[in-house]
Amino acid sequence: MEPIGTICRDDGLWMLARMRLIRQTSERIARLYPTNVMETPVHLCIGQEAVPVGLCRHLRDDDKLFLGHRTHGPALAKGLPLQKLMAELYGRTTGCSHAFGGSMHLIDLEHGLPGSSAIVGGSIALGVGAGLASRLMQSDFVGVSYFGDAATNAGVFYESLNFAKLRALPVVFLCEDNGYSNVMPKSAHSAHDIVSVARQFMPTLQADGTDVLSVYAAAGEAVRTARSGEGPVFVHCRTKRWMKHQGHEACDIQDNGIDRVRDCPIKKLEQFLTRSGLATAAELAAIAPQIELQIDAAIRFAEASPFPDPALLEV
Amino acid sequence: MPWSKFDSNYEAPAQQTQGGRTLTYCQALREAIDQAMCLDPRVFAIGLDADDKFGVFGSMADLTHKDRVLGTPISENAMTGVALGAALSGLRPIHVHLRNDFLLVAMDQIANYVAKWQDMFDHQVKVPLVIRSIIGRGWGCGAQHSQSLHGLFAQIPGLQVVMPSTPYDAKGLFLAAVADDSPVLFLEHRWLYKNTGHVPEAMYTLPLGKAAFLRHGNALTIAATSLAAMHALKACEQHELDVDLLDLRTVKPLDVEAITASVARTGRLLVIDYDFPFGGLAAEICAAVSERAFDSLRQPPQRLCFPDRGMPASGPLERAYYPTPERIASKVRSMIFGATVGDGSLVS
Repeated sequence: MEPIGTICRDDGLWMLARMRLIRQTSERIARLYPTNVMETPVHLCIGQEAVPVGLCRHLRDDDKLFLGHRTHGPALAKGLPLQKLMAELYGRTTGCSHAFGGSMHLIDLEHGLPGSSAIVGGSIALGVGAGLASRLMQSDFVGVSYFGDAATNAGVFYESLNFAKLRALPVVFLCEDNGYSNVMPKSAHSAHDIVSVARQFMPTLQADGTDVLSVYAAAGEAVRTARSGEGPVFVHCRTKRWMKHQGHEACDIQDNGIDRVRDCPIKKLEQFLTRSGLATAAELAAIAPQIELQIDAAIRFAEASPFPDPALLEV
Repeated sequence: MPWSKFDSNYEAPAQQTQGGRTLTYCQALREAIDQAMCLDPRVFAIGLDADDKFGVFGSMADLTHKDRVLGTPISENAMTGVALGAALSGLRPIHVHLRNDFLLVAMDQIANYVAKWQDMFDHQVKVPLVIRSIIGRGWGCGAQHSQSLHGLFAQIPGLQVVMPSTPYDAKGLFLAAVADDSPVLFLEHRWLYKNTGHVPEAMYTLPLGKAAFLRHGNALTIAATSLAAMHALKACEQHELDVDLLDLRTVKPLDVEAITASVARTGRLLVIDYDFPFGGLAAEICAAVSERAFDSLRQPPQRLCFPDRGMPASGPLERAYYPTPERIASKVRSMIFGATVGDGSLVS
């Protein structure tokens, strides 16, 4: 793929910091998870950070992002404060969903995250609804439906693409294709080619989901097109899931083709930033320790926050 | 035409017929929808055939703001998600379905999404979504076009289930549903569409969760909704039954206080529920009254529901399947006179 060198320094540093935030937070969760301080199923995004970050660099706070179960990465990329995520994972009242949601149900109304769902596929339709609202309100925010490759097997996927195109709604469909439905490879779960199917309905763009510059370029074009009133766009990002579908352990599927050096979106962006002269190695080296401090603070915040009162359940 | 054949019209309760303007149930709904859309530009209607020339059996014909009436493909599941996404983005959708049965296609969105969205996020978001659906039956429509699934939906936390029986209630409850910031499933019986009654022209709302008395009596309490309530009223009037007749208006929230207060006076409870019997509204009411007012009951609470099987098609089978005012009257009489002895114990 052609190298894409159209970003500015601010874009580059923002995207690197967000990817590192997602990576390092996920790694910390993975370390703590076996101690059972987080009683909620976690679907980590390690290796997939480029997709949500490249997308969200183009989204405004009033753009509505609807997610499936693999929430942490896109939510942090969209702007969910880390403290609210950690407190939610710890089951505390200060969590973004006040301890009623858990890992799979995150919300942040200030940052255009109206909630996420754990049933694969269904939230695709909600992004279309946001696009319809934008149209009926004569506004220019976009709806974004963010889903994985396995969701394209659900009927709601086709229904949503169809309606969005029929009404030319301002919607971006973003498929984060990590190649697996739980442990089932795409060759076993989809007889169709995802992009070919989407192309039946609307313009499609493809990006390397391990390269944030590639995602940034495609998502930028998609968001601009949708926002300008030209109708929905489908973006396909092929990426790699380094972890198991759920939990803190590394992916143990044989022949999964993952090379944690070659496929690392963070390393790729760091190399680009230093080689292009947008940032120095010393500047980049300072980011990770700062994020560790943020994570420490978020965990302290979560641990110090109260659990909800069971009396809240009384009707 | 099958849909032109309806059960005979029923008069609305006396207190609602005095003076003023008379509308059909359908006209009352149409007026409520139109007024809601005129009042609030965030209100829009969406659904399969919502914008066709039939106007959802007339209930959405010639609306003032046709630009806010959107027809959809046959994609009930995704369209429910679209309506939810629009509600979460600042609008107040009315999602309409020509048949109650079609809601089952959208069960993932209704049960997992619409109903749960506020609980999952501790009610930080409003979900001002009304799902209108029409209950049909008759003319051999069979098992997939004749169901009334209010019991199923009421079982799911997060859904309010409203079932108006009169034109007055249809307008007032519909406007209350649109005004509500949480999801409402609004079920209209097709057989009530031509019924007439007094309906004020001004906008008004009726509280969700508040039952209404259709008739006062002392020997037995009937709790019913929608067409069942109208059939019960007809039975009571034609047979001069000494019945306290409660029209529940909403299945959920359920006005348990009104039912138990009535049973405390009458000592007998009959629930007429035009739905399947197992684990349904009638069972819930019998359980609720048994828990709260067991000592008031002179005999076991009784249910009159559909048989626990799908609807048949052939005329004679249909007529045997569905309860009627005559069967309601017979059931009431057996409970009051026929089947009890002096101490109130059941002998048959």
